[in-house]
Amino acid sequence: MTSQREITISPTTRIEGHGKVTIILDEAGNVSDAYFYATEIRGFDYFLRGMEADRLPFIISRICGVCSTAHVLASVKAIENIYGTEITETAKKLRELLLMGQIISNHSLVFFFLILPDFWFSKEEDPSKRNAFQIMRENPEIGRKAIALRSFATKILDTIGKREVHIVSAIPGGLISPLKEKEREELLKAAKEACAITQEAVSLGKELFEKNWEEFRKAGDYKTHYMALTDDDAIEFYEGKIRILNPEGDVFSEFAAQDYMKHVEEKRYEWTYAKFACLKALGCQKGIVQVGPTARVNVNKKTKTEFANRELEEFKRKFGSPTHATLLFDYARLIDLLYACERTRELLEDESITRTDTRVKVKPKGGVGTSVVEAPRGTLAHEYALTRNGRLKSMKLIIPTQVNSAAINLNVKDAATEFIRKGEIKPGLLNRIEMVVRAYDPCIKCATRNATDSLKVEIRNHEGRLLKILS
Amino acid sequence: MKVNIVSLTCCAGCVSSFLNAGDALLEILSQDFDIVYSPTFVDLKEVPQVDLAIVEGGVRTEADEKLIREVRAKSRILVALGICATHGGITSLGNIISVKKLLEKEYFVLETSKLPELEDLMYPICNFVDVDYYIPGCPPMPFLIVHSLKSIVSGKTPTRHQSVVCTECNRKIIAAKLDRLYGIYDKEADPNLCLVSQGFVCLGSLTREGCGAPCPRAGFTCFGCRGPTDSLLYRSRDLYSFLVKVISKRTSIPEEEVKKELYRNPFIFHTFIFSKFERFKARERII
Ligand code: SF4
Ligand code: SF4
Ligand code: SF4
Repeated sequence: MTSQREITISPTTRIEGHGKVTIILDEAGNVSDAYFYATEIRGFDYFLRGMEADRLPFIISRICGVCSTAHVLASVKAIENIYGTEITETAKKLRELLLMGQIISNHSLVFFFLILPDFWFSKEEDPSKRNAFQIMRENPEIGRKAIALRSFATKILDTIGKREVHIVSAIPGGLISPLKEKEREELLKAAKEACAITQEAVSLGKELFEKNWEEFRKAGDYKTHYMALTDDDAIEFYEGKIRILNPEGDVFSEFAAQDYMKHVEEKRYEWTYAKFACLKALGCQKGIVQVGPTARVNVNKKTKTEFANRELEEFKRKFGSPTHATLLFDYARLIDLLYACERTRELLEDESITRTDTRVKVKPKGGVGTSVVEAPRGTLAHEYALTRNGRLKSMKLIIPTQVNSAAINLNVKDAATEFIRKGEIKPGLLNRIEMVVRAYDPCIKCATRNATDSLKVEIRNHEGRLLKILS
Repeated sequence: MKVNIVSLTCCAGCVSSFLNAGDALLEILSQDFDIVYSPTFVDLKEVPQVDLAIVEGGVRTEADEKLIREVRAKSRILVALGICATHGGITSLGNIISVKKLLEKEYFVLETSKLPELEDLMYPICNFVDVDYYIPGCPPMPFLIVHSLKSIVSGKTPTRHQSVVCTECNRKIIAAKLDRLYGIYDKEADPNLCLVSQGFVCLGSLTREGCGAPCPRAGFTCFGCRGPTDSLLYRSRDLYSFLVKVISKRTSIPEEEVKKELYRNPFIFHTFIFSKFERFKARERII
């Protein structure tokens, strides 16, 4: 194995944040274990203690610049739960619109910039060309679409959130200011264009994924539980009940979002800066659960909008329900994207969204409150304990990537087992691992708000000696 | 021009902001701006020799330190993008406790771990390497990023912003007669008057312009994400006394009372700049 001892270190790519994979081989040189882990720590949960609840929502969004809006919304909702504040319908609609902006912004980024190069180029393509900028050079039309969708999301976030990254408009009690009629009309016009582009993106995605279906099937098919928000069997992002399915597809449990922490627990391993999360009732061995696009489709029977619903039905027809194939995350993400565009249009067609009653007065008090939203990567929960004076005593956040970590690990192990036999590494291992990890769109920034390095693959022998680092 | 985009410890919001630049982004990509290395978007594995490196994030781990030194050595021009990179950013709030405590409270004792060691504090990148341009902001607005990059690409120095956010906020400053200060949510803000004149603690008068003042324009107090202006950075450094004076003037509340009120709110001033600066040469180079 001396030939494999050579070490090269550099980042694995097209993933948000810094993570790492270690594969451990047994004496015969076969895979005995594999870990995907985070190597970054920041300490949010600790250093925000003592902060005034007023400032929490817009400060806490700095956990992640890619899904900052989801964090802001989870944060204001948790504080409102403590205060006992009921916000107005108008504020709810505007917040949902913000969340749709968040989904479009993230999913268009992930589809066009992170995932698409894997399917667009042949496997033999020069890696230095396998990226979105090259696609844009070869096909400026695709570049324009990607940027148009991104800009549309930016416009929503800027108009209603008042900044496109780290919005400031959502405050405990509602929204700081109403949407003006003129703004509504402009956004609605843009929404119609965005919906048309999204449909084209969905067709492009489906075409490319279908060509690679064999690959899809091979790459990870791990049966786990699934969790997502649901509103009467329909996909929902802003509020609703939480439903968990067992691996066979039956409802395992259903509960109010405020009870989230009673059902999900965190576990800490010494080899990663991120904490795992799993189902409390089953423990971390059996209680592996996945969240995110596939989970949303598995857990729900429909979407409230027409075209997304058609896509969802087709998806279920083709792949069954629940489906477990990991790479289908990429496909299901397009259903989210379509839904978000259609829902945005719907919300904007409703003229009552410009009503001026966006804000109610809050009565600050101490206590504990939990809230959940569907972030782009899945169910996101914030729980705060506030002191009587409205300062943060402690907080607990459970982030989608933490929940998915266990499943990502299993998938990485599967891929490793397939590609490593008797110490021989078949070509293509790294690519496969990257693709399954990428499917989860893991946000290591989020998972490691507390706790940097890039995704690397380390292969160690059973004594822990480093044999090889792939990157 | 060959470009690296590098991410250290941060939230990735600054690169997101760059991607939000819409048509301006397409324009810059179609010009002499070739992103050859960027773990988020490009599959190149090794840091190449380039003309321009754009760095978001600060130095929290030894891996960060190693990477930033390598990036500096291989780049002709280095831009620190965002306040994490320029001043330490939000993560520098973690500097209020020691690393040991941080790990104990939140995690575990590191000895048994294979993870990269943490630095004792969260640092801005200038503590380790020379920075050619600093673009603070959390994140800097897309137009500011693109505008600055375009200048740099064409060999010019980007426009520097030396004044304060108040100059970009079209609210009217008056000397009001108030008897108390208000929290952001205590009352609805008048749409035309300076927020401080209404008793809100807005940091606009301390904070570097260049963002277009989106927050105070929306009725939300500026919380200082562009960092302090030149005069505060280099002359007095005493943000606190300065703000007490501004508030007292615009509200007619005696300075003593304003002080008492502000003491209650320790997070107000240093949310993004709670770090230790060494070799900070921002005066000529801050955008
Ligand atoms: S400066 Fe702000 S937006 Fe930029 S990386 Fe740091 S926390 Fe994120
Ligand atoms: S203090 Fe704030 S509200 Fe007042 S003028 Fe300055 S930026 Fe505007
Ligand atoms: S107004 Fe203040 S907080 Fe808002 S973007 Fe500008 S500097 Fe940052």
